[in-house]
Amino acid sequence: MAIQVQNSQSATQAYSMPSRCIYCVAPLLFLLLSCSTVRLPSDVTTSGDTITTPVRYSIVFVIHGDGKYRYHDTVGGSHQADEMALDSAHEIAAQNPQAEAFIFHERRRPGFLRRLITRRDGAFYYYRQGKLLAAESYRRYRKSERFDAAVNLYNQFRAPSELDQTRLFFYFGHEIPEFGGAGYDASHPRETFTVDDLAGGVEQWSRGAGRFDILVLATCYGGTPHTIAGLSPYARYIVASPENLHLSYFDLQPFKQLHLHLTRDSAHAFAEQFARHAFLRLTTEVQTAVTVALYDVDRVASYVTAVDSMYQRVISHREEPAPLLRLPIDCAEEPLFTRPDMHEGVTLFYRPPQFGRARSKRDHSGWECPAL
Amino acid sequence: MLKYCILAVVLSLFALGQTSHAQDMDGIQKYLNDMAVSVKAADDPAEKRAILDRSFDAMARALDKVEQSPMISSDDRAGINLYRASLQENRDELAGVNGFDRVPDVRLDAFADYSVQSLEQAAEKTITISLVAALLIVIILILIV
Repeated sequence: MAIQVQNSQSATQAYSMPSRCIYCVAPLLFLLLSCSTVRLPSDVTTSGDTITTPVRYSIVFVIHGDGKYRYHDTVGGSHQADEMALDSAHEIAAQNPQAEAFIFHERRRPGFLRRLITRRDGAFYYYRQGKLLAAESYRRYRKSERFDAAVNLYNQFRAPSELDQTRLFFYFGHEIPEFGGAGYDASHPRETFTVDDLAGGVEQWSRGAGRFDILVLATCYGGTPHTIAGLSPYARYIVASPENLHLSYFDLQPFKQLHLHLTRDSAHAFAEQFARHAFLRLTTEVQTAVTVALYDVDRVASYVTAVDSMYQRVISHREEPAPLLRLPIDCAEEPLFTRPDMHEGVTLFYRPPQFGRARSKRDHSGWECPAL
Repeated sequence: MLKYCILAVVLSLFALGQTSHAQDMDGIQKYLNDMAVSVKAADDPAEKRAILDRSFDAMARALDKVEQSPMISSDDRAGINLYRASLQENRDELAGVNGFDRVPDVRLDAFADYSVQSLEQAAEKTITISLVAALLIVIILILIV
């Protein structure tokens, strides 16, 4: 099957303007282009291409960068966590010859002067067969739902779903609020974002193609009953961190060369290998607690269903913003959320913090709950 | 005089637009990060311990001074109190008091990293300090150290 891939409108249209006009509009054109184009990785080029092999893997990356994402490594270097995640996503996309990859980078809103020219604060990249075929910017809050613009781009570019296509979804960002959600975007403080909004987006991305085989939630406090319950209809296996995930960082190295390791049937084993790899990598670099969990969505359903109504009652009655010092706790430490089946379907990799009062906590249930 | 200096620097930074709200903890993180780098560069455990102790002490004094400033809000004071409590835990663990075992000499480098990482995590989850308060803390740190 041959598929002709077209670059979408964006910058390419501008180059076909009649030459007699070019001098009068050149300064404006320069400004527009400089604001609407996105940073391309150094080792890829954009081009139309003819694709002849089926797409066996479909990968969606959503990387939130509109907030505090600066961190320091152990040798003193300063980094932007979202830029690091973006680089990893580009690497994965470029190193999978049988995949298509959609990368959405949610950036800070342009400053006041730039906003007079453009309001685009999202960057989109589309890869197929390891080649970058499109790179353009978009406006994140133009539509009513948070991910509408990104979903439209996805539908515009996606290849027809193949039978037995393996589908992967990644979200990188800060902890996603389960209630309220104002201020998640530093430059859109009035907009709200909650787990339900993310679930709504994932639902749109999974429409017509079924559940994602693996969903990776690279945020702090992603392993809660409510979050897993919200995402469960749209994924078979979820990898998340119940506690802090330093830098929102999971090492994505296992996702390179997917065709050598991953099929739909091996998704659980692959997800477990990835979770273990991410855990080991974190333990070499992080002195705080490291907790990485793999949830088999069908097997954890009985637990999350049993506790979710109580959980929702607790979080919805909390003040907004949440009172200081009320950090979440291991669900096993709160009788309301403790059940005999809470370990069913959870594969946990846990190491306590190396210092501080929690360093003697030797195990974890794999679930994090609000402190009452 | 100190108050006028601080006010002038803060107003200058606002005027120049060189800061942004999203990066308001950057200066504090950089201070702690520099501390961790210095600890690792030192050979003698006593020197490592002294660097940590000196840095924590300077930070505690800066927090005390900023807390008394009329320029900060009650929310800032709550954030500063949280941060001071977290810092005190680090100081107690370094010294081995208040229920902590003393950090062994061979673990001082890792402890310095822990101090940086735990602050970065706390800044995301619990400690909210405004741009003005964070700038004041950094300025006072510069004046103290």
